[in-house]
Amino acid sequence: MEFALSEADTAFRSDLVGFLDRELAEGWNRSECGLGSAVYTDFSRGFVRTLAAKGWLTPHWPPEYGGGGQGAWQHFVLGEEMWKRGEPRGPQYMNVNWVGPALIKYGTEEQRRSLLPPIARGDVFWCQGFSEPEAGTDLAALRTRAARDGEDYILNGQKIWTSYANEADYCFLLARTGSVADGRDGISVFLLPLNTPGVEVRRIDGFVGEHSFNELFLTDVRVPGTCLLGEENKGWDIVRRTLAYERVGAPRYARAALVLDGLAGWCRAAGLLTDPGVQEQFGDARALCEAARVLVYRVIDERAKAKEPSPMAYQARAAMVQAERAVGDLALDVMGTEALAEQSRGDAQFRNSLGAGIAAGSYEVQLNLISRLILKLPKG
Amino acid sequence: MDFERSDTQRALLDALGTLLNRHAGPQRCRELAARGAYDHELESELRAAGFLDVFGEADAGPLEAVLAVEQISAQLGAITPVPHLLVLPALGLPVPEGPVVLADRDAPGPVRYGGEARQLLVAGADRCATAELSPDDAEPVPSAYGYPLARVVPRLAENLAPGTSQAMINWWRVGVCAEALGMMQRAFDLTVAYAKDRTVFGRALGSFQALQHRLAESSVLLEGSRWLTYEAAFRGATAESSAVAAAYTMAALHRLTRETHQITGAVGLTREHDLHLWTLRLQAVRAELGGLRAHRRAVVTSRWGVAAA
Ligand SMILES: Cc1cc2nc3c(=O)[nH]c(=O)nc-3n(C[C@H](O)[C@H](O)[C@H](O)COP(=O)(O)OP(=O)(O)OC[C@H]3O[C@@H](n4cnc5c(N)ncnc54)[C@H](O)[C@@H]3O)c2cc1C
Repeated sequence: MEFALSEADTAFRSDLVGFLDRELAEGWNRSECGLGSAVYTDFSRGFVRTLAAKGWLTPHWPPEYGGGGQGAWQHFVLGEEMWKRGEPRGPQYMNVNWVGPALIKYGTEEQRRSLLPPIARGDVFWCQGFSEPEAGTDLAALRTRAARDGEDYILNGQKIWTSYANEADYCFLLARTGSVADGRDGISVFLLPLNTPGVEVRRIDGFVGEHSFNELFLTDVRVPGTCLLGEENKGWDIVRRTLAYERVGAPRYARAALVLDGLAGWCRAAGLLTDPGVQEQFGDARALCEAARVLVYRVIDERAKAKEPSPMAYQARAAMVQAERAVGDLALDVMGTEALAEQSRGDAQFRNSLGAGIAAGSYEVQLNLISRLILKLPKG
Repeated sequence: MDFERSDTQRALLDALGTLLNRHAGPQRCRELAARGAYDHELESELRAAGFLDVFGEADAGPLEAVLAVEQISAQLGAITPVPHLLVLPALGLPVPEGPVVLADRDAPGPVRYGGEARQLLVAGADRCATAELSPDDAEPVPSAYGYPLARVVPRLAENLAPGTSQAMINWWRVGVCAEALGMMQRAFDLTVAYAKDRTVFGRALGSFQALQHRLAESSVLLEGSRWLTYEAAFRGATAESSAVAAAYTMAALHRLTRETHQITGAVGLTREHDLHLWTLRLQAVRAELGGLRAHRRAVVTSRWGVAAA
């Protein structure tokens, strides 16, 4: 056992920290608050191009696709430092973390050539079109159809909760190519340009931080067969394999810890940090953030050793949810009505934490998977 | 980073496991508990096999000592593994024969093996003090929690160097985490096994989602405790890492105690069943060093530089 980064990764972290101190000095002053807001999504467009120029947007991709061929830890250190600052890459973390790798693994040569360079340069946004009104947790119940018509496919259906669809250029979309009875065996992945005729994006007014939800309506959307990723009906495998590590790919505990430090500063100024009750709540929240960190590290260690992903990732995800919730609750408890002011630290963290156990696979789903795959409890 | 056990660690734990199979375990624990006794035999076996020297060894160290404390506690070894394997070596003090008592000036109360111990180490404001104990210094306190307890009032004390108090507390914190870890894991494994075997309403208890989720959450707490504790040992028990590990592990301990007893039903409350051997002892660990509340406040002191409340 060894709980320290290699010298190379430590050196990379300090380079990165220096770089971020300089680059974020202007225009990113409320990183604890504005995750997902329009002003920071705009900021991130410029920022990711700077990162790309430095080779730090896709350092973990293979060199032939615009990557630096770096290891799992370096990639993770990058993600952690970004989340520690409130994720200045904005929605980009999705395409660099898993859309790109999915294309590298399952794409045709033509798809890789046309779609990867814009991601590596930081020129495009992707969004994730999985959920539907009748298919959230039970994703295999999705109904959006893709019917073959000669060389093309015709898409019809509706997606919901699609984050950033209002800003995105492409959607990584799941649609049914088999029958509903096939369940997860009849699903395919489509790489859908959002400017295709018949795609309509409607904003849904939510109150989860500044984040915005969208619906996608697909009416007779005709796409060429080249938009299909991998084999027809094999989409579930692609998602399962590509997203296996991405449950922990967004180190949200790092952002929660950042907010917690900010809240400690707030409480100190307010003369509250010497209060024993307040101290207990801070100690608890910090411990939850740290536990999430070590559990995530454990998963990254597996990945760095190129092992098959194990179900430990679900424990790490559950711990991240617990950490985000604890910091959100603490914020409201200690700040009192000050937390209600829009964009205060308390406000942002609390509203964010409401979605923590729902987005990217709900908390209960993580617990179900732990019960079945780790504890091997009998089926219900 | 490397979350796997090294060859050295595996070899150490295998050897320790063999020794503990012979000299500890539920059966032995029951015999000793009936007499409220310290296991001198186990201690001398551990000493002879070199396990008490692990902390300072070149090819092992504090992390290996923590793994050993965890395993000794899991097997209910009736010795004082935290002072012997961690705290005394960390302070560069010799490890005497027989039990050693750790005490915290700020958290007085009955201590484990206080009646039998001949040496006491007290954490003061800045320095530790060591004191010899005689049987006249101890007043036994009857207790159901698996360890013989006594109040001690030492007469003569000798102060150690400045700063020793914090070092002692940090390693003690890591130590109670390691003890808790070993015991929580056993209590948890036993409960998961019970949930699979016990049939109610024609199905396994563990097939009910209400219980599955509670066990799954418990497993997260256990793993979080484990890796925070190992990491704290690896980092040399810094004030923050040891307080964080203890704040998390002690909260896990509260939850694990409730869940294991709730899920094993009435049988888990009997002396005949093994669960209590771990869960009652856990409460002694829970109470040390001022307990969960003190650990949480220590996180704040170390992280945000606030004076202790
Ligand atoms: C901030 C945010 C961003 C999102 N972004 C995207 C996105 O970009 N793209 C996208 O495709 N989707 C996105 N989602 C949608 C998200 O993936 C779904 O909300 C999620 O999968 C849950 O589905 P649901 O909302 O339909 O809830 P439901 O499936 O109706 O579940 C409701 C509740 O019941 C529980 N539950 C359901 N089934 C079980 C079960 N078997 N056992 C125990 N409990 C169960 C759930 O855990 C949940 O708490 C986003 C959601 C949020 C909150």
